[in-house]
Amino acid sequence: MKKVMAMLLVLVMMVSLGSVAALADDEITLDVIICQYGPNTEDWFLGSGMNGTNFVDKFEAENPGIKLNLEVVSWNDVYTVADTRIADGKLDILNIDVFANYATDGLLEPVSQWCPDDLYNDFFPAFIEQSVIDDTVWAVPDLASVRALWYNVDMFEEMGIEPPTTWAELEDTCQTILDFYDGKVYPWGIDMTTDEGQAAFAYYISGNGGSFIDGENNWTLNSAENVEAIQFALGLVENGYTNPNPATQTRYDLQDMFAAGDMAMLIGPNNMDTYCAEKDSEVNMAYSGIPTSDGSTMGVAIMDRIMAFKDENDPDQAARDEAIGKFAEFFYAPENYVGWVSMEGFLPAVNSSVESLVAENPDFATWLDVLDGCRFYPTSLSEWDAVKQGVIAAEQNALTGASIQDELDALQETIVAQVEAAAAEAE
Amino acid sequence: MNKTLQNKIKPYIWLLPSIILMAVFVIFPIVIVFKLAFSEVSKSGVVGGFVGFKNFRDAIGLPAFKTVMLNTLYWVVSVVGLSTVLGFIIAMVLNQKFHGRKIARAILVLPWATSLVIQASVWNYIIKYEYGNLNNILLNLGIIKEAINWRSSYQIEFIWECGVGIFVTIPFVTFCVLSGLQSIDSTLYEAADIDGASYWDKLWRITVPLVKPSLTVSTVLNIIYVFNSFPIVYTMTKGAPANKTDTLVTYLYMLNYYNRQKGPATALSVIGFLVLCLCAGVYMVSVMRKEEDL
Repeated sequence: MKKVMAMLLVLVMMVSLGSVAALADDEITLDVIICQYGPNTEDWFLGSGMNGTNFVDKFEAENPGIKLNLEVVSWNDVYTVADTRIADGKLDILNIDVFANYATDGLLEPVSQWCPDDLYNDFFPAFIEQSVIDDTVWAVPDLASVRALWYNVDMFEEMGIEPPTTWAELEDTCQTILDFYDGKVYPWGIDMTTDEGQAAFAYYISGNGGSFIDGENNWTLNSAENVEAIQFALGLVENGYTNPNPATQTRYDLQDMFAAGDMAMLIGPNNMDTYCAEKDSEVNMAYSGIPTSDGSTMGVAIMDRIMAFKDENDPDQAARDEAIGKFAEFFYAPENYVGWVSMEGFLPAVNSSVESLVAENPDFATWLDVLDGCRFYPTSLSEWDAVKQGVIAAEQNALTGASIQDELDALQETIVAQVEAAAAEAE
Repeated sequence: MNKTLQNKIKPYIWLLPSIILMAVFVIFPIVIVFKLAFSEVSKSGVVGGFVGFKNFRDAIGLPAFKTVMLNTLYWVVSVVGLSTVLGFIIAMVLNQKFHGRKIARAILVLPWATSLVIQASVWNYIIKYEYGNLNNILLNLGIIKEAINWRSSYQIEFIWECGVGIFVTIPFVTFCVLSGLQSIDSTLYEAADIDGASYWDKLWRITVPLVKPSLTVSTVLNIIYVFNSFPIVYTMTKGAPANKTDTLVTYLYMLNYYNRQKGPATALSVIGFLVLCLCAGVYMVSVMRKEEDL
């Protein structure tokens, strides 16, 4: 009797496993990681923030046969989580800022394999160009953010001054604020932390005619313009015009100080007003162009991406690519994408959503104009990670007394050695 | 199976679950880390072939290596050393009979029972320049006229980190020593009193020798915990500026997940493991020898 029962049990288990396998055969499950841009990201993708439903439920209802295993991960953890999932072979779609290392390691599926043509043609070409290595597009943009000078209007009116446009004016304005408020308000904010120290580097070098690379993609980290620009930024710290600890105070600390009325000016993202509103800030704020050494206009933009990973074990590559394409189509469809971009307060990456966004918020038109002339980080170069960390380390070392010239010389040497080593390996 | 054989096998059967757990959760990861330390690992974590000691050479050649190793030494010595001395003194006080002793003991547990991340975050707020409690209290009491930047240099920030480390480690030492103190037979002190021994005679000739086994346990465990402690440094400074406040553990984490230099990071973790084994081993052997000499 016991033997019969045991056999029956085994039989039932086999049948149930078989039915699960049969179910699995018909379905494609995509493992997706999305970055947490704000407090509502998770609710929009997984909760009820999409008009009472969420992205995953809506997608699965409209695309039977495709399941999403979607996880919203904070920016602090996303690199760790992504690496772990890559090691486990459980990552199909990733939303992150960098892509070059994944591409050079042969982990990414080219965009041409999975992105439908109509959608591909909808992306701003200038954005797509930022994700090209060796003539192959490896990722698509999901959004962009531009930076501007944000200032406390009430303070400026009280002092009777205008926001600065040149570096000389910036120093004068900082001194005026310092004197007028008797040192109780920080005139200027600088973030040289591991969070966004590379952005500070970009603001100042771009404002002095410098750059990370030249026209032929050669690194120019220790150019005279770059060294002079960072020396100027360090001078602002030394003169007491900034927050006291730029190496540990992140841009969120600065934004909080600005929102609390303790900081008069800072370079911040286009969604600063949304950020401050969420903090119940009563600061009357406005934005203008980032001051440069000679007053010329300059813009810095940041862009994040969506990329698809290879899965060589999948027996039906075409079906998998099609499923990833459907995910992208659904995400960028104006009825979904417009809501997401406005909720996060960023700028769109596709033409089809511009009209609706501008109708919803006319400020978008101004920001999109600013975006036109902006420079992006050279993220398509595989040394970018090392450069990003290197410039932050250089800034932080300089804050503790090291020579910025020596720091950038050493960094340039290291990066050039990496480029040469990679070239030698490729040969 | 005869009884003698059964008795011989029995202990091993009882130990088997622990051995399996140790093998899966301790030995296996250590073996993997050693393997990775000698392999090429890409920035995305793709493991390549054997590269000999390249990762170790790269790790030792990193600009921050010397600073980080020195910081780790200062961190372990100061936190373990000072928390042992202070914990011992507090344990001596708590071993006396006084009103509110139970409450004092309960309060002492709090820093130990609270998460290290929360402790470090709270201290971050306390010493914050702009809205910190310390500045607010001192300003309100009229002790200072202007807020003080308690984190004006990286050296001071590192001292704060060590201070928080000491603060959260003291309870563990105190309770280890307290358990040792309570096991000392009071007749020993009575006999010493009759012989006319002073307070210091009793401390050095009775208390310290008899508490030594408890102190050995707490010191060895503290060396391991403090060496591997991550939350305080990471929460307070993330090693900034430019790794000048990093210890080995926070540095290798940043190297692995932020700088994505996974090969050198695993090599560093192997170096850390070996240093820790050496320190704890030397300490244990020296203490055991002294105990045998007694």
